[in-house]
Amino acid sequence: MNKLKIALGLQLLFFAAWGGWLLSSRNTDSPVFYLETAPVDPRDWLSGTYVALSYAINTPEPCRGLARHDAGLQLYVKLEDKGRTAQTAAGPVKIYEAAACAETPGEGQWAKAYVNFSFRGLFRATYGIERFYLNENNPLKDARSGSVVAKVKLGRANKLVLLDLVAITAP
Amino acid sequence: MSYYKRLKNDLAQAAAKGLITPEQAAGTWDSAYASRPLASFKAVHWIAAAAGLFIALGFILVAAHNWDKIGAIAKMCAYLLLFAGTAAAALRLQDKPAAAPLEILWFFMPALGIGLYAQIFNLSGDPVKPYLAWAAISAPLAAFSKRPLAAYLVSFLLFAVLFWGTLGSSNMLALTANYGRAAQPLWHWPLALVVLAGGAALYPGQKLGAPLGAAAVWTFFMLAADTAIKVRSEALVLLAGMSLAVLWLSWGRRPDSEKAGLPLTVWTASVYAMTFFWHYKPHAYHGLRGTDTVYGAALTWIIFAGALLTALFRPQRLLPEGREEDLVAKGLLAASVLCAFFLFGATEVHAKALAVTANFILAAFGVGCIMSGARNSDEKLINRGVLVITLTAVTRFVDIFGGLLKSGVAFIITGLAFAALAYFVNRGRKALIESVKK
Repeated sequence: MNKLKIALGLQLLFFAAWGGWLLSSRNTDSPVFYLETAPVDPRDWLSGTYVALSYAINTPEPCRGLARHDAGLQLYVKLEDKGRTAQTAAGPVKIYEAAACAETPGEGQWAKAYVNFSFRGLFRATYGIERFYLNENNPLKDARSGSVVAKVKLGRANKLVLLDLVAITAP
Repeated sequence: MSYYKRLKNDLAQAAAKGLITPEQAAGTWDSAYASRPLASFKAVHWIAAAAGLFIALGFILVAAHNWDKIGAIAKMCAYLLLFAGTAAAALRLQDKPAAAPLEILWFFMPALGIGLYAQIFNLSGDPVKPYLAWAAISAPLAAFSKRPLAAYLVSFLLFAVLFWGTLGSSNMLALTANYGRAAQPLWHWPLALVVLAGGAALYPGQKLGAPLGAAAVWTFFMLAADTAIKVRSEALVLLAGMSLAVLWLSWGRRPDSEKAGLPLTVWTASVYAMTFFWHYKPHAYHGLRGTDTVYGAALTWIIFAGALLTALFRPQRLLPEGREEDLVAKGLLAASVLCAFFLFGATEVHAKALAVTANFILAAFGVGCIMSGARNSDEKLINRGVLVITLTAVTRFVDIFGGLLKSGVAFIITGLAFAALAYFVNRGRKALIESVKK
């Protein structure tokens, strides 16, 4: 068989398998919860317009004590309901916050994070949910801090999956 | 005027002058015109291509309008079908010219897929990762395709990602340090070196010059930037830069190459840049200094040793081959590297000595080009020599003398020197012709 045909088969297999993995990760039976977020809107060369999201859990205080390395570190952040809520069109929703930080996940909602520690104790945790792609005409593109919440769930291998951006309505 | 119009005119004129017969002119024209790119495309093909383009654009716009209503699985299946169709068409038409644009499309399909999946599943993360994944997925196409197109594209992509990633400070390839932080971890280095090796290996043909040049420039950036192999003393930076220029010139330029080429231009420009050390003030650069790293210093000395051995033992690429040319070129290459040692003293006198030496190297190179060009009847080489000497002379007059009177006198002296050189070159040529006749 032609080598190029084998290469094409492998390429198609890769994208089919990757697509299957992402689909199955999005459809896991873990509970859905919400995160407070602040968007801004840049553009990506490969995927188009998106809103860049920054979360309160990007600087999880419980992780501060684990700053042993100067470079990045993979950690798990425990997310739990501490009583905060946000009003949406579908009713009030619970806002989850960072409650603990560890090198291995425990019981509950532990999200995998990549934490970068910098000088003077500054650090930032990223979860792979920092972008939400949308149509150029979508009004969410102009959403401001405090006007939306992110609907997320835990996917496979404790990775957070971003499902939707939901507008906050007046109580 | 296009190449084919000019060719037609030239052939018609040659036929009118009786240099060739009208039949020969017509035959040459037909042969040249038939071999132009896309020659097999007839009017009907162009109309069909336009029809296909309009229909495709229509589908794209309709799909874009309904984009949010299309499900994830439908988007992914459509993408996989498009990918398979494009690649299958490229394979089917492998030996025909139409396969070239299809192959380019095939190269871009993984990027389209990565972008689409990121959009569907709101993926984010390392900015370099999608581009590295694209290059890795496209590497088999580059390696196995009969055409060099995909190989050029993948190689270019890898080198672009290498420079972008390693000079950044917050991605998986980053090698430069963030403000106030230590150098990036060592595990970033093997990945960067794999990307470098991949870019060089996939570059098509026997052309070593371009990948070697990119590697040399990247190595210099890594030594000069705030990385784990940084060097901070001016002497080591200069030694590394000149050594890399010599290595690129000696290994990257082919002996049969008629054009001067980028490696020769870079070497000449590097020596030219050294002439400005005349204005060097040691205390002016204290702010830029820091500590040389052990790795950086070791790498610089290795590069220097390689450049010196190359200059002395490898056939030189500075001047055309010949006993005297080899001697002069090897001397100039070695001197261009060794004169960086003047900076180890780091005093103004040492820097001035370096600048003077660099001027002499340029002048000797210019004269060498003129003499060798005259001997080999190579007009381009003579012009190169004249250009180097003129540029050096004009720069020095403006740079050092400044005043109208001094510059004017200096210009007259240079003009007389050129006239004398032209006289001796002409005498040498006549003597050479006479010796051949005897």
